Amino acid sequence: MFGGVALNLHGLARATEDLAIFVAPNADNIARLRAALRSVFADPDIDQITAEDLLGDYPAIQYVPPTGLFHVDILTRLGERFAYADLAAEVIDLDGTPVTTITARALYEMKKDTVRAKDRADAEALARRFKLGDS
Amino acid sequence: MPVRKFHDISEMEGNTWREPGPELHAAIRRVWEFAAKTVELRFPPGVYRHRSIEELDAQTERWAQANFDVFQARKQR
Repeated sequence: MFGGVALNLHGLARATEDLAIFVAPNADNIARLRAALRSVFADPDIDQITAEDLLGDYPAIQYVPPTGLFHVDILTRLGERFAYADLAAEVIDLDGTPVTTITARALYEMKKDTVRAKDRADAEALARRFKLGDS
Repeated sequence: MPVRKFHDISEMEGNTWREPGPELHAAIRRVWEFAAKTVELRFPPGVYRHRSIEELDAQTERWAQANFDVFQARKQR
Protein backbone atom coordinates (compact mmCIF):
# COMPACT_ATOMS: atom_id res chain seq x y z
CA MET A 1 0.00 0.00 0.00
CA PHE A 2 1.28 3.45 -0.81
CA GLY A 3 -0.20 6.86 -1.63
CA GLY A 4 -2.92 8.56 0.38
CA VAL A 5 -4.08 5.44 2.20
CA ALA A 6 -0.52 4.81 3.41
CA LEU A 7 -0.38 8.40 4.65
CA ASN A 8 -3.57 7.69 6.61
CA LEU A 9 -2.09 4.53 8.10
CA HIS A 10 1.00 6.46 9.20
CA GLY A 11 -1.13 8.86 11.19
CA LEU A 12 -2.59 11.62 9.00
CA ALA A 13 -6.31 11.05 8.49
CA ARG A 14 -7.17 12.73 5.20
CA ALA A 15 -9.64 12.00 2.45
CA THR A 16 -8.51 10.15 -0.65
CA GLU A 17 -10.41 8.68 -3.57
CA ASP A 18 -8.00 5.94 -4.52
CA LEU A 19 -6.35 2.89 -3.05
CA ALA A 20 -2.80 2.76 -4.43
CA ILE A 21 -1.00 -0.56 -4.37
CA PHE A 22 2.41 -1.58 -5.63
CA VAL A 23 2.48 -5.27 -6.49
CA ALA A 24 5.40 -7.64 -6.79
CA PRO A 25 5.95 -8.05 -10.52
CA ASN A 26 5.27 -11.71 -11.05
CA ALA A 27 2.35 -13.58 -12.56
CA ASP A 28 1.50 -15.55 -9.40
CA ASN A 29 1.19 -12.40 -7.36
CA ILE A 30 -1.01 -10.72 -9.95
CA ALA A 31 -3.24 -13.81 -9.93
CA ARG A 32 -3.50 -13.43 -6.14
CA LEU A 33 -4.43 -9.78 -6.63
CA ARG A 34 -7.28 -10.77 -8.97
CA ALA A 35 -8.44 -13.38 -6.43
CA ALA A 36 -8.39 -10.77 -3.66
CA LEU A 37 -10.41 -8.33 -5.74
CA ARG A 38 -12.90 -11.07 -6.70
CA SER A 39 -13.36 -11.87 -3.01
CA VAL A 40 -14.74 -8.34 -2.61
CA PHE A 41 -16.33 -7.53 -5.98
CA ALA A 42 -18.34 -9.89 -8.21
CA ASP A 43 -17.05 -8.19 -11.34
CA PRO A 44 -15.96 -9.94 -14.56
CA ASP A 45 -13.90 -6.85 -15.47
CA ILE A 46 -11.32 -8.02 -12.91
CA ASP A 47 -10.18 -10.61 -15.48
CA GLN A 48 -8.80 -7.69 -17.52
CA ILE A 49 -6.12 -7.09 -14.88
CA THR A 50 -3.43 -9.29 -16.38
CA ALA A 51 0.21 -10.12 -15.77
CA GLU A 52 0.79 -9.69 -19.49
CA ASP A 53 -0.13 -6.00 -19.18
CA LEU A 54 1.35 -5.24 -15.77
CA LEU A 55 4.65 -6.92 -16.59
CA GLY A 56 4.65 -5.55 -20.12
CA ASP A 57 3.55 -2.28 -21.67
CA TYR A 58 1.04 -1.24 -18.99
CA PRO A 59 2.78 -1.03 -15.59
CA ALA A 60 -0.09 1.13 -14.26
CA ILE A 61 -3.71 -0.06 -14.18
CA GLN A 62 -6.68 1.64 -12.61
CA TYR A 63 -9.63 -0.48 -11.57
CA VAL A 64 -12.96 1.13 -10.74
CA PRO A 65 -15.32 -1.33 -9.00
CA PRO A 66 -19.01 -1.48 -10.01
CA THR A 67 -19.94 0.85 -7.14
CA GLY A 68 -17.98 3.64 -8.87
CA LEU A 69 -17.12 5.17 -5.50
CA PHE A 70 -13.32 4.96 -5.68
CA HIS A 71 -10.53 3.53 -7.80
CA VAL A 72 -7.72 1.09 -7.16
CA ASP A 73 -4.41 2.16 -8.69
CA ILE A 74 -2.19 -0.86 -9.32
CA LEU A 75 1.49 -0.37 -10.17
CA THR A 76 4.34 -2.76 -10.89
CA ARG A 77 6.89 -0.03 -11.48
CA LEU A 78 7.00 3.74 -11.31
CA GLY A 79 9.04 5.14 -14.17
CA GLU A 80 12.74 4.52 -13.80
CA ARG A 81 12.83 5.74 -10.20
CA PHE A 82 10.97 3.09 -8.27
CA ALA A 83 10.48 -0.62 -8.64
CA TYR A 84 8.83 -2.96 -6.18
CA ALA A 85 12.18 -4.12 -4.80
CA ASP A 86 13.18 -0.53 -4.00
CA LEU A 87 10.30 0.16 -1.65
CA ALA A 88 10.79 -0.36 2.07
CA ALA A 89 7.61 -1.58 3.72
CA GLU A 90 6.29 -2.37 7.16
CA VAL A 91 3.24 -4.25 8.39
CA ILE A 92 0.62 -2.05 10.06
CA ASP A 93 -2.25 -3.55 12.00
CA LEU A 94 -5.60 -2.18 10.85
CA ASP A 95 -8.24 -3.41 13.28
CA GLY A 96 -6.67 -6.87 13.28
CA THR A 97 -5.83 -6.98 9.58
CA PRO A 98 -2.12 -6.79 8.74
CA VAL A 99 -1.57 -4.26 5.96
CA THR A 100 1.80 -4.15 4.22
CA THR A 101 2.45 -0.44 3.89
CA ILE A 102 5.29 1.63 2.50
CA THR A 103 7.39 3.15 5.29
CA ALA A 104 7.06 6.85 6.05
CA ARG A 105 10.61 7.41 4.76
CA ALA A 106 9.95 5.60 1.47
CA LEU A 107 6.64 7.40 1.03
CA TYR A 108 8.45 10.69 1.56
CA GLU A 109 11.08 9.75 -1.03
CA MET A 110 8.35 8.82 -3.48
CA LYS A 111 6.36 12.00 -3.06
CA LYS A 112 8.95 14.72 -2.52
CA ASP A 113 10.02 15.29 -6.13
CA THR A 114 6.73 14.71 -7.88
CA VAL A 115 4.85 17.20 -10.01
CA ARG A 116 1.55 17.23 -8.18
CA ALA A 117 1.21 19.87 -5.49
CA LYS A 118 -0.70 17.56 -3.15
CA ASP A 119 2.16 15.04 -3.25
CA ARG A 120 4.68 17.71 -2.34
CA ALA A 121 2.43 18.85 0.50
CA ASP A 122 2.22 15.25 1.74
CA ALA A 123 6.03 15.00 1.57
CA GLU A 124 6.40 18.17 3.61
CA ALA A 125 3.94 16.88 6.20
CA LEU A 126 5.80 13.55 6.42
CA ALA A 127 9.15 15.34 6.72
CA ARG A 128 7.91 17.44 9.62
CA ARG A 129 6.15 14.62 11.41
CA PHE A 130 8.90 12.03 11.06
CA LYS A 131 11.81 14.50 11.02
CA LEU A 132 12.90 13.35 7.57
CA GLY A 133 15.32 15.01 5.22
CA ASP A 134 17.02 14.07 2.02
CA SER A 135 19.02 10.89 2.48
CA MET B 1 -13.11 17.20 22.75
CA PRO B 2 -11.62 19.98 24.85
CA VAL B 3 -11.00 23.41 23.38
CA ARG B 4 -7.46 23.73 22.11
CA LYS B 5 -5.80 27.10 21.60
CA PHE B 6 -2.78 27.93 19.46
CA HIS B 7 -0.48 30.90 19.15
CA ASP B 8 0.05 30.25 15.47
CA ILE B 9 -1.67 28.28 12.70
CA SER B 10 1.51 26.25 12.19
CA GLU B 11 1.00 24.76 15.64
CA MET B 12 -2.39 23.41 14.58
CA GLU B 13 -0.97 21.22 11.84
CA GLY B 14 0.86 18.89 14.18
CA ASN B 15 -2.43 18.39 15.93
CA THR B 16 -3.83 16.56 12.91
CA TRP B 17 -1.45 13.61 13.26
CA ARG B 18 -2.33 10.63 15.43
CA GLU B 19 -0.37 7.65 16.63
CA PRO B 20 -1.31 4.46 14.75
CA GLY B 21 -4.02 2.59 16.60
CA PRO B 22 -7.77 2.58 17.25
CA GLU B 23 -8.01 6.37 17.63
CA LEU B 24 -6.34 6.86 14.23
CA HIS B 25 -8.61 4.27 12.60
CA ALA B 26 -11.69 5.99 14.01
CA ALA B 27 -10.41 9.34 12.69
CA ILE B 28 -9.85 7.84 9.23
CA ARG B 29 -13.41 6.52 9.22
CA ARG B 30 -14.81 9.89 10.28
CA VAL B 31 -12.82 11.79 7.63
CA TRP B 32 -13.72 9.41 4.81
CA GLU B 33 -17.40 9.27 5.78
CA PHE B 34 -17.53 13.06 5.99
CA ALA B 35 -15.82 13.38 2.58
CA ALA B 36 -18.25 10.91 1.02
CA LYS B 37 -21.19 12.91 2.38
CA THR B 38 -19.90 16.33 1.39
CA VAL B 39 -18.42 15.58 -2.04
CA GLU B 40 -20.00 12.55 -3.66
CA LEU B 41 -17.46 11.24 -6.15
CA ARG B 42 -18.27 8.87 -9.00
CA PHE B 43 -15.88 7.05 -11.33
CA PRO B 44 -16.85 5.07 -14.44
CA PRO B 45 -16.47 1.38 -13.53
CA GLY B 46 -13.94 -0.67 -15.48
CA VAL B 47 -10.26 -1.36 -15.99
CA TYR B 48 -8.00 1.37 -17.38
CA ARG B 49 -4.51 0.50 -18.62
CA HIS B 50 -1.68 3.07 -18.67
CA ARG B 51 1.81 2.97 -20.12
CA SER B 52 3.15 5.35 -17.44
CA ILE B 53 2.33 7.00 -14.12
CA GLU B 54 1.86 10.25 -16.07
CA GLU B 55 -0.93 8.65 -18.09
CA LEU B 56 -2.50 7.38 -14.87
CA ASP B 57 -2.29 10.84 -13.29
CA ALA B 58 -3.89 12.37 -16.40
CA GLN B 59 -6.83 9.96 -16.15
CA THR B 60 -7.19 10.73 -12.45
CA GLU B 61 -7.24 14.44 -13.30
CA ARG B 62 -9.97 13.92 -15.92
CA TRP B 63 -12.10 12.16 -13.32
CA ALA B 64 -11.43 14.94 -10.83
CA GLN B 65 -12.52 17.56 -13.37
CA ALA B 66 -15.64 15.59 -14.28
CA ASN B 67 -16.59 15.22 -10.62
CA PHE B 68 -15.96 18.92 -10.05
CA ASP B 69 -18.18 19.84 -13.01
CA VAL B 70 -21.00 17.62 -11.73
CA PHE B 71 -20.63 19.10 -8.25
CA GLN B 72 -20.80 22.67 -9.58
CA ALA B 73 -23.79 21.89 -11.80
CA ARG B 74 -25.62 20.36 -8.84
CA LYS B 75 -24.95 23.47 -6.77
CA GLN B 76 -26.40 25.73 -9.45
CA ARG B 77 -29.67 23.81 -9.77
